[in-house]
Formats: sequence, C-alpha cells, structure tokens
Amino acid sequence: MTATPAVRRYAAHPFWQAVAIMVGAYVVVVWVVPLLPGSAIVPKSVVLQYMVTVLVGVLIYVSDNEERWARFKEPIVAVLVEPRLRVARAALLVVVTALVGLIAYGQVATTVAAPPNLRSIHPAPPAEITFRGRSITLTGLENPLRAHPDSLAVYLAEGKSVYYRNCLPCHGDHLDGQGHFASGFNPLPANFQDNGTIAQLTESFVFWRVAKGGPGLPREGTPWNSAMPKWEDFLTEREIWAVILFLYDQTGWTPRTWEKTGEVGRGKGEGS
Amino acid sequence: MWATNLKVVGIVLGTLALYTLIANKIPQVQSEVPQTLTLGANVTPEQLVAAGEKVFNGIGGCTTCHGLGTRAPNLLTDEKGTGPIGARCGKREAGKSCKQYLYESLDNPTAYVVTGYQPIMPVMTKQLSPAQVWSVIAFLESQGGTVDVTASDIPATSSTSTTSTTAGGGGGGGSGGFAGGSADPKAIIQAAGCLACHKLDGQGQVIAPDLTHVGSRRDAESIRKKILDPASSIAKGYEKLAGIMPKTFGTMMNAAQLEALVQYLGAHK
Amino acid sequence: MTADVLVLLQAAADSSHAYGEFPLIGARAAVWIAAEVHLMFAAFVLGVPMFAVVAEAIGIFGKDQRYDRLAKEFTRLLLVAYSATAIWGAVLVFILATLWAKPWSYLTAVFGPSMWAYAALFFCESFTLYLYYYGWDRWKYGRPKWGHWTLGLLLNLWGTIVMFIANSWLTYMMTPPRDITPTTDPATIKLWHAIANATWMPINVHRLIANVVFGGAIVAAYASYRFLAAQTDEERAHYDWMGYVGNFIAISALIVLPFAGYWLGREIYQYDQSMGITMMGGFMSWLWVIQAFLIAVLFLTGNYYLWIGMGRIPGAERFRPYTKYLLIVLVLGAIVWGTPHTMIADSKELAAMGGSHHPFLGALGVMSAKNTAVNLMILTTFLSFLLYRRANTRPVVPWAKGGTMIQAAMFALAAGVVLFYGIRGYFVEAIVRIGFSVYQVLAVLGCILFVTVIDVLMGRGAQSLGAIQWGKMPPRSQYALFVLAVTFTWLMGLMGFARSGIRQYWHVWQVVQDTSKYAATPALGYASKMISLCVLIFLTLVAFVFWLGGLAEKSTFVAPGDREGGGGGRHVGH
Repeated sequence: MTATPAVRRYAAHPFWQAVAIMVGAYVVVVWVVPLLPGSAIVPKSVVLQYMVTVLVGVLIYVSDNEERWARFKEPIVAVLVEPRLRVARAALLVVVTALVGLIAYGQVATTVAAPPNLRSIHPAPPAEITFRGRSITLTGLENPLRAHPDSLAVYLAEGKSVYYRNCLPCHGDHLDGQGHFASGFNPLPANFQDNGTIAQLTESFVFWRVAKGGPGLPREGTPWNSAMPKWEDFLTEREIWAVILFLYDQTGWTPRTWEKTGEVGRGKGEGS
Repeated sequence: MWATNLKVVGIVLGTLALYTLIANKIPQVQSEVPQTLTLGANVTPEQLVAAGEKVFNGIGGCTTCHGLGTRAPNLLTDEKGTGPIGARCGKREAGKSCKQYLYESLDNPTAYVVTGYQPIMPVMTKQLSPAQVWSVIAFLESQGGTVDVTASDIPATSSTSTTSTTAGGGGGGGSGGFAGGSADPKAIIQAAGCLACHKLDGQGQVIAPDLTHVGSRRDAESIRKKILDPASSIAKGYEKLAGIMPKTFGTMMNAAQLEALVQYLGAHK
Repeated sequence: MTADVLVLLQAAADSSHAYGEFPLIGARAAVWIAAEVHLMFAAFVLGVPMFAVVAEAIGIFGKDQRYDRLAKEFTRLLLVAYSATAIWGAVLVFILATLWAKPWSYLTAVFGPSMWAYAALFFCESFTLYLYYYGWDRWKYGRPKWGHWTLGLLLNLWGTIVMFIANSWLTYMMTPPRDITPTTDPATIKLWHAIANATWMPINVHRLIANVVFGGAIVAAYASYRFLAAQTDEERAHYDWMGYVGNFIAISALIVLPFAGYWLGREIYQYDQSMGITMMGGFMSWLWVIQAFLIAVLFLTGNYYLWIGMGRIPGAERFRPYTKYLLIVLVLGAIVWGTPHTMIADSKELAAMGGSHHPFLGALGVMSAKNTAVNLMILTTFLSFLLYRRANTRPVVPWAKGGTMIQAAMFALAAGVVLFYGIRGYFVEAIVRIGFSVYQVLAVLGCILFVTVIDVLMGRGAQSLGAIQWGKMPPRSQYALFVLAVTFTWLMGLMGFARSGIRQYWHVWQVVQDTSKYAATPALGYASKMISLCVLIFLTLVAFVFWLGGLAEKSTFVAPGDREGGGGGRHVGH
C-alpha cells in the first residue's frame, strides 16, 4: 500500500482520468453490456459510435477549464519534448505508426464475411397492393375479421391451424422466430414476441408483408435475401387475416391503430 | 493573423469533412423510381424510339440473339447486303408495310422466319406491354427507315394483344411464365428459346454447351444456379461466350417451371 | 379513365422540353446548389433583422448604447448579404426556368399571382432595409428613434410574408390538397386553396424559428472571427460579448425548434402515412441518425462554450464542480439519442443479436428513449444557462433559499415526468406513446418558463461578485462557435434534403411526376457531398460579405470611455 499516494496523484490528474474513462467505457460497452441478462454483443459500428461520443465528452471535460486543460496537456507535452522521456517518445512513435498500419490493414484486408448491410426492417408500405389481381387499399385498412367479434374464436382457431401448417417451421412454436429452419436464414425470421415487430405495426402492414413476402420488399428492404414466401400464392385473403389475428392474440400485442382525425387535431394544437 | 485564418479554415473544412465522411460510411440507399412506360397521344417519334431502344437493349432481351449474326438476323447493322432492319422491313413481304411486318414478326415470330435461321424467337407480345412492343417497332424503323408509329397504334392494338395472351392461357399479365405457365419442360425449352444456343437430344445449335448429357456434369442444384445466375459458372471451353446467356430466365419463369426444367435437364445423364 | 388522362397529361408534359441539362455537374446538382445557397442566405437575412430589432429595443428600453451598436453592426452585415440573397434567388429562378421547366411551368400556372406579390414585397423589403440602415444615425434619439424601430419591425414583417409565400410553393409540392389530382387543370386551382396546404403553417413556424437560430449562429461566428483577429482588449471584449449574445440567441431558439419539427412531422404523417414512414423508417431512416449526431454536437458544443465562459466570471467557481455532472447527463443523452434502432452489423454480429435489433440496446433505439434523452438534454442545457446567468451574483431577496429549492424541485419534477413517460412509453401502444411526447415537452417547457420567472424575480437587486471579464476567453471557445455555425448550416442543408427528398420521384406529390433522369432521390453519401459543397459556397461568400462589411467601416466597437461600465459589469439579461 505504499503506492497509495502515487495512485492518488494519478487519479487526480486529468490526463489519467481521461484515459481511465475511455478504458472504462470500452470495457462497459464491449464486455459488460453483453453480460446483462438477455443481451448480446454490441456491433462494432455501435461500439465506435459510443466511444467517439465518450471521447468528445472527455475532451470537453478536460478543456472546459483553463487549469485542467493546462494540466491535461502536461504529460503530452512532456512526452513530446523532454529529453528524459526519449524512450517513451520513440515507443509512442512506433505504436502510433503500427496502429495506423493495422487500421489500414483492417480496412483493406479481405475477409470471408459478407459486408455489413442495412435492411430497413419496416420499409414504407405502398398505399395499395394487388392481391391475386384485386387491388386492396392498405391505408386505413383494419382486419375485416374483427368486425365480427362473435366469431372471433372460430377465426382464431382457423388462424392457429394456418400458422401451424405454414409458419411454424421458421417462426417457431413460441412465435419467437426460433423455428427449426430459423438458423439457416439470414435475415432471421421475425420474432413476433419482440416488441419491435408486430407490436409496432398496423394489421394492414402485416397483411402486406405476409401477402407479398420477401420478393415484395421495396428497395429499402433490400437485399432481397429474405426467405419469406409470397403467401398470396398459397393462402386466401381470409386465411391471412385469420393468421394475423392469431399472431396478435397469441403474443398479447395489440396492433398499431390508425390515427383518428379528431384526435390529431387536438394533438396538433398542443404540439405547436 | 494568417495562422488564425488557417485555423478557422481548418476547423470549417474539418467539420464538413467529418460530417461528409460519416454520411458516406453508413449504408447507402437510393430511392426507387417505378419504371413505367407511359406513352400518350402526343408522344413524339423520338420518344418512342428512345423508349424502344431501352426495351431492345434491356428488358426485351433482343440483343441475346439479334446482333450476333449466327442465331438471328442482324437488325441494327447490315444483314447480307440488305441494310439495317429499317431499310429492309418494308420489302420483306409483299403487301405488308414495314410497320405491319415488324408487328407481326413480334406477335407471331414463326410466321416469317428468315431463311437460314431457326424458328426460335419467343412471342414478344406476350412478354412486353403493347406500349413496349410499339416503341420497339419505332426503334427498329428508325434504323435506316422512317418512323411511322404513332400513339394511335398503341390503344388500337392493346385489345388484340390481350386476346392473344388469353388465348395463350396465361391471363396473369405475363407473370405466369413461359408457354402460358405450362410445367411441361419441353414447352418451356421451346418457349424460352434454349435451343437457339444449346443442343438437346440432337436438336438445336452448338453455340453453347450441349445439354444432352448435362445431368452427368452438373447436379440439380448446379443447373438451377446456372439458370438463375448464368455468370456463376462457365463451362470449360466456353469462357469467351461468358455473359451471352440472358440473366432474365429466372424472372421469366415461375417456380414450378424452373423446378420442372431443372429436373428434366438433371435427368439427362 | 383517370389513368388514361394521366397518361395524356404526362405525355403532353414530356413532349415539351421538360428538362434541361447543366454542363459538368448535371441539372440536379445545379438546382440543388442554387436552391440551397439561396435558402441559406435567405435564412440569414430573415433571421438577423429579427434580433437586430430586438437588440435595438433592448437598447432603447435599457438605455444601453451597446445594444444599439450591436443592432447596427448586424444590419450592416445584412446589407451585403441581402444582395447576395437576391442574386442567388435570380440564379435559382433562371436555373429552374431553363433546367426544370416542367415543374416550373406547373407551379407558375398555380401560383402566378403570388409570385407577383412576392416580387412586390421584395421591393418593399429592400427599401425598408436601406431606410433602416442609412437612417440609423439620423433618427437616433427621442421620438424618431421609435420611428426607426418601427422600420425594423416593418422589415421583419415584409421578410416574414415573403418567406411565407415562398414556403407555400414548396409545401404545395410536398402536400398538395387532397382534391388536386394529376388531371386537375392547374389554372383552375384556387390560389388560397393551394397556399393553405397541410404543411404550410408548420413549415412557416419551423423556418421562422430556425432562421433565428441560424442568424444567431452566423453572427456568433462572425464575432468569434473578429475576436480572434482583434488587436486590443476592448475590441476583444466587444466581440466576446457579441459572440455570446449570438450563441445565446441560437441556443435558446434551438430549444424550441424540435417542437416545431414535431408538429411538422405529425402533419406529414397525417397527410400521408407512407410519406411519413418513408421519412422516418424507410430509406431515409439513416438520415435521422446523422441528424441525431449533429444535434448532439450542437448540445455539447453549446454547453462547452458556456462552461469555458464561466472562466471569465468571478463567482462561477462555485458552480464549477457541477458542470461535470451536466456533462455526464449530456454524454449519456447523446449516446441514447444516437443509438440506431436497426444497427449496422456483420453476419456474425447479426446472428448473435438475433436480427439487426440489439436485444438490450435496441430498447434505446425507439422513440420513447429518444424523446426522453433529448428532453433531458434540453433541461440540462437550460440548467447550464441558469448557472451561467447566476454565476457572478448572489441573490439578496429574503426568499432566495426557498426560491432555489423550488427551482430545484421543478427541475426534478420535469425530469421525473420526462422519465416516467419515457419508461411508460414502452408499455403502451403507439398511438398513446405519441401522445406522451406532448406531456414530456409540456413538462420541460413549463419548467423552463417557471424557473426563468423565479430566477428573474430572485435576481432583483442581487449582489454582484465582480464584473464579467469580457474578452478573457481562450481561443478554443471561439473555435467552438465556428463548429456551431458550420453544424447549424450543415443541419439546415440536411433537413432541406429530407424535406425535399421524401417527395421521391414526384415534383408535386402524386400530382406531377418527375420524369427526368434525376427522379430517384440520391443516397445520403451523395447528398452529404452536395450539402458540404453548398455550406462551403455559402460560408465562403459570407466570409467575403463580412470582409466587405469590415472594409466599409472599421468596426462599430467604440472606445472604452464611451461605453458605460467598460464593457462589463452588466449581465446580459434576456
């Protein structure tokens, strides 16, 4: 414990504080976040983004006060000019050069992995689609089966059987996108239990996605490597609506509803 | 003072560069423009020709055969001393104007097969919309002749072409695939014009590999891949012809047809 | 039937020479640059008079000559910038008429009379500006001064109407009234019907506020340049103060800007759901990540400038230790605010995450989290201002302690409301969640309003801890102002791209189709290069304008004896 005063001196020095914050942030983002329950590794692009944000914050911290800024620069200036730190200076030169080289190598080196791509998960739906040669207006469309609350149980049973006969292999028993074939696909089948899928969408949007499948994705939903079939070729309109009913009933989500005009008028007044 | 100026310029340029860099690092998506060919009553011959040129070089797939000089007559360049198509179309059949001749050649290609060529051309009126067909005719006429296609031709013939589609049994607006969606591999091969290049069971040309024993060289997976993406693998000795096989067959057939074709070819051991 | 007529109309439009081509850069880039640079100058010449007039009024009421000079210096910048605006406007009109004839002829058919009114108002505006500037010293005192100030008001009035008219053209292109179809003869469309379209008012309000922000930022950049170039301490003190005022105005107006933007977004969704989704979730969704980044830069840089500024205020050291907590909130806010919902990831990462939504961080990518983050960042920035404002005073009113407690309680309450609705937002359906953002906004605005009122009351007769040492600023604070100005300008270009780009391949949404080869909206990378180019052109010209302004008159800064309190001592009390 003889080192305590030295440690304390380092801990109070803005330069070493900055270094500690950067290292700490990196550890948290790369190793701690994945350990949290239900979490996963953080993609490199996001790690980079977080680290840049933290770096900007750190730079603001060390430079928003004259005194701290001067102290922060001390070790940097010392390494660059002081004769006694010649070794450290040389080492820094080597490390920086090597680092730049490594980054450049990492940028140009070819890997077997497919390049990261962006697909918009919820692309803009068309206002109208053609379903088996008949045009259906999607805007404002509700699930027609909900118009008959008495027969809902029948529709649900029908939807369930449609699901188990058609959707199960990919979307899974729990509707969580973990079907038997799921691991073979990229993109993975949609997880309906997740609050980011059907919970965010109107039923007409889901209808469009089911009816038109992967091939019907617009440009922003590219690349067109989704394995979702074009179900309009296999299911009737009623079957699709029934299975949508089943999806919402089984997961407990309520579909996004269309805005009522009156309500919007009120919101507008408040928003301004 | 100059140091300050330079610093300011540096800050400004640096900030701009940073923002531009970030915006370029993220995935780039361009919006989509629906490709519709809308030709109205006031359409000029130039517009028809321009549209036709696009169809000819693109979706029509015409250049697959026309232009090589072996599978089909040259249309854009001289063909055996008779000049380009626009110059000769009016003289091909007695009593038929250039326009009539070209339309019938597209609507019923086997009617006027030029001597020395095989009857392999698909019925273009089934694959293209009337507007596209007429713009192609305008384009062909412009090759050494005068364009006399007008907008009035298009609606007048649209009904005819609809009837012919219905007669073909498709009815799905062209999405049904070749030969009216038939799953008979022989009909598909006939309609798709495979034999224009490939030989199969003693029929067809020898431009591309003989398919008679293709099943022994490739498995079904490989055949399917080759049809969907012809550039994926090139048979030995045919490297020079890479890129000749149209890439559009996958989109012109429905799934059942593709499977039937793949099985049929795969069985040719 | 309709489709046939549509085809006919389309063909009629096509048969004329609908589109021209521009050498080298192409027609789209030419129109883009002309429109964007014109717009930036226009924003500048609309924003600056607004606070020239406010500054003049403060000068009159507060009997503070400093503000009067500041207003005059602003107006001098305005003169040259104004002709630059007109020149770019002319360039834009010629380019539109020659290269973009199809939409141009359609719009002139609909909006003809409003274009004449536009020209007439422009005329009025020019002469009011000349009177305002050249009459400054003539009508300097007493009753004529009020007349002069009225001229300033009039200047703003003309400018605002001019902008409203121009806005009606472009909002019509985005959201033409629903009863107008491709077959509607443009000559039969009632002018007012076309003007009062769904997004007209939201854009008007949004641009009005944004112009103030923009004008403030550019003036602050101007002041910071003069600060860096200053030879004497007096000059430095003056421009330090001017930069502070510019920055103050920019950031204050920025705080209300998101609310106007929110209204605009709502109207777009309301008008056409698919347009809204294209904008927020479709191929433009990445644009908002970039926007989030820029806004985070604005917040961080703005606060940074304030915190450095505390170094010149005696008494500010009392608040120094707290700024780091504010910084932590801002950085965390920026992290949440910038977290994308759909992440860029390679296949291995995608497999680990089970899709492109991160199972844990994905929760930070949705609307609830972002609203919460940005509202907390606004609150934090406001707190920074409050600390700055109070730095060199000690309140003497008897209820000072209680007042501070109430203020603290209000901050806590507002933050609590924001957090509560932010978290609840995860558990309710979308419609309700959208409504929640209104409560969050109201809580923040309410807090800002009441805390300011209490602070003003509490600051009455407060004991001073020493004069602000204007001019005692390190150069890096001034570079921060440059970053702010560049970022504001770039952000304006980006938002312009978003607004214009969501029309996709339509000149007038679902009425007049873009049939040129530039119909597709370009990807963000290309757009960013165009934006950077426009910003560069604009800033270069503005630098030239400022240089000209410096040529005409050395500077309006005055000898110390002429100014009361030697440039310090008084707090800038907006």
